[in-house]
Amino acid sequence: METPLQILSKVVPGIISHIPQTLLYWFLPSVLALALGSLLCWARVTNRRNPLYWICTVVISFFRGTPGIVQIYIVFFGLPKLIWAIGYDVSDWTAGVYFIIATTLNLSCFMAETLRGGYLALDRGQVEAGLSIGFSRVQNFVHVIAPQTLKVALLNIKNLEIDVLKDTSVAYTIGAVEIMGYANRMIALRSGLGQLWILGAAAVIYFVMCAVLEIAFNLMVRRISRYEEVAR
Amino acid sequence: MNLDVDFMLSDLPTVFAALPSTLLLSLDSMFWALVFALICGGAQLARIPVLDKVTLVINTFIKGIPLVVQLLFCYYAVPYAVKWFDALVGRTYDPRHLPYFGAAVLALALNFGAYITDVVISSTRAVDRGQWESAYACGMTRFQALRRVVAPQVIVISLPNMTNYFIWLLKGTSLASIVNVTEMLTTARLSASDGYQFLEAYIDAAIIYWIVCAVIEWASGRLYRSAGRYLVAPNGATAQ
Repeated sequence: METPLQILSKVVPGIISHIPQTLLYWFLPSVLALALGSLLCWARVTNRRNPLYWICTVVISFFRGTPGIVQIYIVFFGLPKLIWAIGYDVSDWTAGVYFIIATTLNLSCFMAETLRGGYLALDRGQVEAGLSIGFSRVQNFVHVIAPQTLKVALLNIKNLEIDVLKDTSVAYTIGAVEIMGYANRMIALRSGLGQLWILGAAAVIYFVMCAVLEIAFNLMVRRISRYEEVAR
Repeated sequence: MNLDVDFMLSDLPTVFAALPSTLLLSLDSMFWALVFALICGGAQLARIPVLDKVTLVINTFIKGIPLVVQLLFCYYAVPYAVKWFDALVGRTYDPRHLPYFGAAVLALALNFGAYITDVVISSTRAVDRGQWESAYACGMTRFQALRRVVAPQVIVISLPNMTNYFIWLLKGTSLASIVNVTEMLTTARLSASDGYQFLEAYIDAAIIYWIVCAVIEWASGRLYRSAGRYLVAPNGATAQ
């Protein structure tokens, strides 16, 4: 009979060595979703006569109204068929690719709504002031609109990112190997022996990662709102 | 693209038949999440010594670990817990009928209870202090003031956030499919495994989840508009 310490000393190094995978499954969707979410957000704040507005509204509603795991399954089973129909064979793609695609789509829709909230909170006078001092539309976006939108949206983005980091654990259901996938594989290999200790170790590692992310975002919030402090 | 539309349509009633079990799991979890949140929120609002710090630490830890880990942890812990409990009451341990539904409810309730605690606390703090004071001035006790004046306002204020979390919870119950709980996603998977038509079955499940979430959101919007009619925001505007 192994003591808990022996079980942990066998499993924890392996779990730690899979942190990069988890971070990859978190980071790549985050970056892609920021870009795609901005585009969706832009379509959602244009006028309602635009058919693009309605398409994006329906897409966002779908991704917000269905569970993430169902979206992952649909992408996992549906995307190869879709690409096959076009004439490519993607049977050598790993499960991680499908997870990243599904998470990117999901996160983009949440990101779009968060950014939209920030954009709508923006004072119209700021936009006009930027244009009146001779900024082009692009300059106005980069120097006036984007920073202020981000400032308002950042707190919600923090919550989204923490959720995404935690939801990378769902990736194991389609066979991607990250912290949870490794922990599960270990539990299976050891025929369930010490399963609670292994899961406990994974939980602590997730908690530390979330705490680090939270602290990083709090520093970012403080930095981005540093001019507010002076004004107050 | 070879999407089996016939199977998708014929499978829709099968998946839909499992909706009650998903809703039952959601409501059950929501009830216990509310109980957990009221205990934690109450302890923190009333500043009960020790208990308020303990609940804060527990909630922070729960919020930092994924729901999947919690579900699997409760799932694996069930046999140990049942064995211990059976030994305690002097029953023979029977590994054939383990309460996996209860384990899923426990995991979901703890996870969402930690989030709902914040809703309870912020909604209670959103009620103006003057409401408490005027209730006391009328001669009400603390409990009477809470029950007749403050709580009704807290319920209305928290309604949008509660609905949000309920929708999250409803979507979260789909994760219970990985721990042997028969709900909608499990049913979809089982119905598809004969002909490997998983995509069609999952699309069915997605459509049903989508409709249910949309209906709940719409209903809660209507409810909030009618219940929040008399709610006055600090700037004097009524809730829209």
